[in-house]
Amino acid sequence: MNVDLTREKKVARQHVFARNSGAFMRNLLKSGAATAGLVITVVYLILGLLDAVYPQYLGVRNDHTMLVFLPGQSISSAPPTAPVFNQGWWYYFGTTTSRIPIFPSMLAALQYDLGYALLIVLVGAGIGLLFGAVSGYFGGKVDELMMRITDIFLSVPLIPLAIAVTFFLGATFVDMAYALMFVSWPSFARLARGESLSLKSLSYMEAATSAGSSKVRNVWVHVIPNVLSPIFVQASLGVGRIVLVFATLFFLGIVRGAPYMPELGKLMVFGEPWLVNGVWWPIVIPGLFLIIFIVGINLFGDGLRDILDPKLRR
Amino acid sequence: MIPTLFGLTLLMFLLERAIPNSILASQYVNPQSTVPITEQLHNAYIQLGLNNPAPIQFLYYLNDIFHGNLGYMNTSYYSGSVSSAILQYFPNTAQLVIFSMAVTLVIAIPLGTYIGARPGSVADHASRVFSITGFAIPTFWLGLMLQIAFGKGVLNLPISVFPLGGVVSNSALPSPLPSWLLNPTSGALSSSPTHMVFFDAMLHGDFALAENAFVHMVLPIITLTYALLAGLLRFIRSGMVDSASKEYVKTARAKGVPERMVIRTHIRKNAMIPAVTVIALLIADLLGGVVVTETIFGYPGMGLLSVNAAITDEIYGVVGTTLVFGVIMVVANLVVDVVYALLDPRIRY
Repeated sequence: MNVDLTREKKVARQHVFARNSGAFMRNLLKSGAATAGLVITVVYLILGLLDAVYPQYLGVRNDHTMLVFLPGQSISSAPPTAPVFNQGWWYYFGTTTSRIPIFPSMLAALQYDLGYALLIVLVGAGIGLLFGAVSGYFGGKVDELMMRITDIFLSVPLIPLAIAVTFFLGATFVDMAYALMFVSWPSFARLARGESLSLKSLSYMEAATSAGSSKVRNVWVHVIPNVLSPIFVQASLGVGRIVLVFATLFFLGIVRGAPYMPELGKLMVFGEPWLVNGVWWPIVIPGLFLIIFIVGINLFGDGLRDILDPKLRR
Repeated sequence: MIPTLFGLTLLMFLLERAIPNSILASQYVNPQSTVPITEQLHNAYIQLGLNNPAPIQFLYYLNDIFHGNLGYMNTSYYSGSVSSAILQYFPNTAQLVIFSMAVTLVIAIPLGTYIGARPGSVADHASRVFSITGFAIPTFWLGLMLQIAFGKGVLNLPISVFPLGGVVSNSALPSPLPSWLLNPTSGALSSSPTHMVFFDAMLHGDFALAENAFVHMVLPIITLTYALLAGLLRFIRSGMVDSASKEYVKTARAKGVPERMVIRTHIRKNAMIPAVTVIALLIADLLGGVVVTETIFGYPGMGLLSVNAAITDEIYGVVGTTLVFGVIMVVANLVVDVVYALLDPRIRY
């Protein structure tokens, strides 16, 4: 009996999900900007995977440095030569210093940028969601204390705080990833708390409580699933933001211990010394590559918000 | 406000204690001093309370901060106490922030009003594209693009039109330096009374120097303002569109108030109220942008100090600048709350 009931519930849930996801896609594709955003995001994800799956087709890779080289070269055989732009630019988009080809390096960078940004946002959003939902639902002194804690993190602008935390954790790439998890959750917590506060006063919550549901169960079963959609929107915008912070911290030289790590900001560091000689492509091309991705994911996030936030839906 | 600052201090303390005690103390050693290094280290352990348990160490730490003792840094670009470094670098940042904020507000309010009164127009679409790029373009990349454009080769402007770095050109300084440009104790170049070269030059009537200082700020200000403007413009626009559909606007139009007046006093005034809260967030973005912009343009402010400190392993430099950024943000939030209460009589604290 009990087993049948859960099975029925599961079927019903699947059904609702299937119906909703169809409507969801239709709504998303209605907006030209959101569609463009989705296409750009998917293309970048595929490009990122392309390098992870078929690295051998995109250039020679030195295992110790993770750097991409033109065939027949390695880090020892590559003196710091000036960037060139005549290597069949449709494929390589020119090279940056030490004859590092730009296009394969950008693809190699993409998998790190996207992979780590997704991981960071997932962890940050998860912590923020739990923290905010509990804080908003329990209210009172718990809420006061928890919000004071988030206020501390929000009292320093993101980039200086990320620099400080990265520095003190050890300034390697992985330390930066931890640092960004550490500093990115409070904005999610704020959002989740606001939503959770407004959910608390709804009558179905009262009904659940009077039916004997405990506070913890209320948070887990009723608050968190309903807070998910705004968090999801914020997370999609957050991926773009984190990728930007990555590039910025690498460019500023905060991250150490990975001199040849493929990363878009790092790639631009290689190009910067040549800038005075009118060598524009090592900076302009990775920059545009990054900007197109951020525009895409922001458009996608805005589209998601229009669909998932019924208050804004027209 | 106070609990936030206290919490921030605690956070920085905890981060700082991830560094071994011996390194924390070694930053207090002055190699030029005649006192033997072992004795200096011993003194540093006592001064920082490093021989005590962590909670007591935190009390020592708070005591040091309240006395303005943020530690020392010893590098090629600055050697001395962190608090005096901050006093030296901070006015330049303040100068940039004041100008960027002013430029943003002066452009965003009229333009936002114009666009907000015409949703769906060409100007509205243009502003949408602008704001999308504003959120997507990395600050450092924009700075580099400006450097390419105004550097050699592209626009072919002489380099002195918009210099690519620094606060003032050496050639623009008056040849026997007047007393207001010299620090009375150290004799270094430092303007008084505000320590901001542009304003001091204006106060003392040296307009050539003021112009030179301003010209040095133009590219950093453009870099800083771009993203800021994108956010604020979009926000004012949506506020305008929201309040345009309110009943009081209909009433005003129905009783024959001229359209200009409707837009100015009925729509814009109400749209400005939420925009004020967003300014607090924009200040956070601005301070984040300052870190990047100052590094790109070699503008000696707090941002450059914090990046340089992080690159050259100056623990106390990183902590000090982060604390100052926190204090600026907290004070800015307080000011925004007060302005908010003044603008909207419904809100009283």
